[in-house]
Amino acid sequence: MNSTVVTYLSQSKEFTNTVAWLSNALGFDATSLVAFVIFAIASLIVVGALATIGGLGTYAERKISADLQMRQGPNRVGPYGILQFLADGVKMILKEDLIPAQADRFTFILAPFLCMIGVFATLAVVPFSSGLMLADINVGVFYLVGMASLVGVGVFLGGYSSNSKWSMLGGMRGASQIISYEIPATITIVSIVLIAGGLSFKTLIGGQGGLPHEWFLLHNPFAFIGFFVYFIAALAETNRAPFDLPEAESELVSGYHTEYSGMRFGLFALAEYIEVFVVCGVAVALFLGGYKVPFDLGTGHIFTEKLGLDSMLSQNIGQLLELGSFFTKTLALYYVVIWVRWTLPRLRVDQLMTLCWKYLTPIALFNLLGIAVWMYAFDGKSIYSLIFNSAVTAAGHH
Amino acid sequence: MFTNTLFLLSAALTLGGAIAVVYSHNLMHACLYLLASLFGVAGLYAVIGADFLAATQLVVYAGGVVILMLFAIMLTGGTGNKINRYGLEKVASMGNKKTYFFAGFAAIITSLILLKIIAGVLRAQPAKVLEANEATVNKLGTLLATDHILAFEISSVLLLGALIGAAVISRPRKEKHD
Repeated sequence: MNSTVVTYLSQSKEFTNTVAWLSNALGFDATSLVAFVIFAIASLIVVGALATIGGLGTYAERKISADLQMRQGPNRVGPYGILQFLADGVKMILKEDLIPAQADRFTFILAPFLCMIGVFATLAVVPFSSGLMLADINVGVFYLVGMASLVGVGVFLGGYSSNSKWSMLGGMRGASQIISYEIPATITIVSIVLIAGGLSFKTLIGGQGGLPHEWFLLHNPFAFIGFFVYFIAALAETNRAPFDLPEAESELVSGYHTEYSGMRFGLFALAEYIEVFVVCGVAVALFLGGYKVPFDLGTGHIFTEKLGLDSMLSQNIGQLLELGSFFTKTLALYYVVIWVRWTLPRLRVDQLMTLCWKYLTPIALFNLLGIAVWMYAFDGKSIYSLIFNSAVTAAGHH
Repeated sequence: MFTNTLFLLSAALTLGGAIAVVYSHNLMHACLYLLASLFGVAGLYAVIGADFLAATQLVVYAGGVVILMLFAIMLTGGTGNKINRYGLEKVASMGNKKTYFFAGFAAIITSLILLKIIAGVLRAQPAKVLEANEATVNKLGTLLATDHILAFEISSVLLLGALIGAAVISRPRKEKHD
């Protein structure tokens, strides 16, 4: 196993002590056992935290939409109505679990779980910080794209198995939309991989710095366009407005999950909100510097040198700063996603396909070529360093 | 230990999925079992350290092929009743218990004979030890862009031909102006 959490925590003294104590007590080398337990706990924490973020996403959605429309939004349960999502969860669980008599039972039950599996499997490689990443596999981004495509299968099956015309149309639209918009999104990811020179998230983020001019967003003009291509494609892939045609309530009731009730519907909704967080996190990791903190504060060396703290403690402080950096950027993008939803009107189906195939895909291909040429012509330097270097040489010749 | 567990799980998923594909009466369900089986194959690739191949298996099959199969099944109505309006079975029957028994028996005997033949080859080569988490992406990329560039280009031209062909076929016919 190539897990970052375990590698990070195994530097600490407590880890060595626990391993030594357990090895004495059990009579065999307990390193892998402790590693496994740490990994399991970290996985549980990540899944729990992300489920909470998904729940809070529904609250944020309602609160922000209320703000944009000059309403109050939920304000009864808890302070500022922040516990509304828990109340909704309880309501979902207590509701009657309906399965239509004409539905395909097996597929009907399986569909929401496929959505959930697809989203939660991607969490394994989401880089929260340099220490808190469940697994840093060599093909991180590629794995994420592959796993996220399970959501498309779930949406399609949910629409198909309900045996209702609205659900069917919603499922069809959802699946075709997801597989169409995967193309510009993946090509844009590939163009960023070209800059970083690797598919793992460590490599991708390692090529960037904490300050905006070191991000891949401002590396060159093509990457700047690529960010918007990726963001639009990600909106469409997660079925968010203005691309929420699969659940267009004015024409399809609520699309592929019309026939779902109770917690099965809740799973679809939760999967959608967590997926939005994941794609925002990927956008942050690819374009906005990921977990990097300005002035290399994330490594924690400066705390050891200047303040004389214990090295593990200063590393932990660095990790917290990195987590803060990642979550700030990701939640800011999350806000933009919700903002876009309550601002723009919904597209028509033909406009949706035109946007994908006639605009985004050619632009993404052009970007890929442009970045390849840029990397060849300028030796992989960013536009900032080119300007800075030429300014330095100009000043030097003076 | 970990690798063995992963192998057993993947192998069970692959075989179980494949058997369920053959035995299920509903084409839609068969497609889902196929998805499970393909996931199992991806797991097997991961076990032997081919991380890129495993991820490709997920992207290509889970994301592309299975969804397209589901679309095709849905659009052609393959899930409906198997008897058409003339009372004939549309899907030819796969056999009965007797044929299953003899086919299984024949398969076991054939595989044993094959095993006997290749046993000498297998014994002659010592089992290779896997190096843990070796990155295959870089090597694959280098090989594809240098040694196997011709095959790579030919396959991409073939795919481009298929893409253009599909676009031409599905294009609406132009009315003649005369």
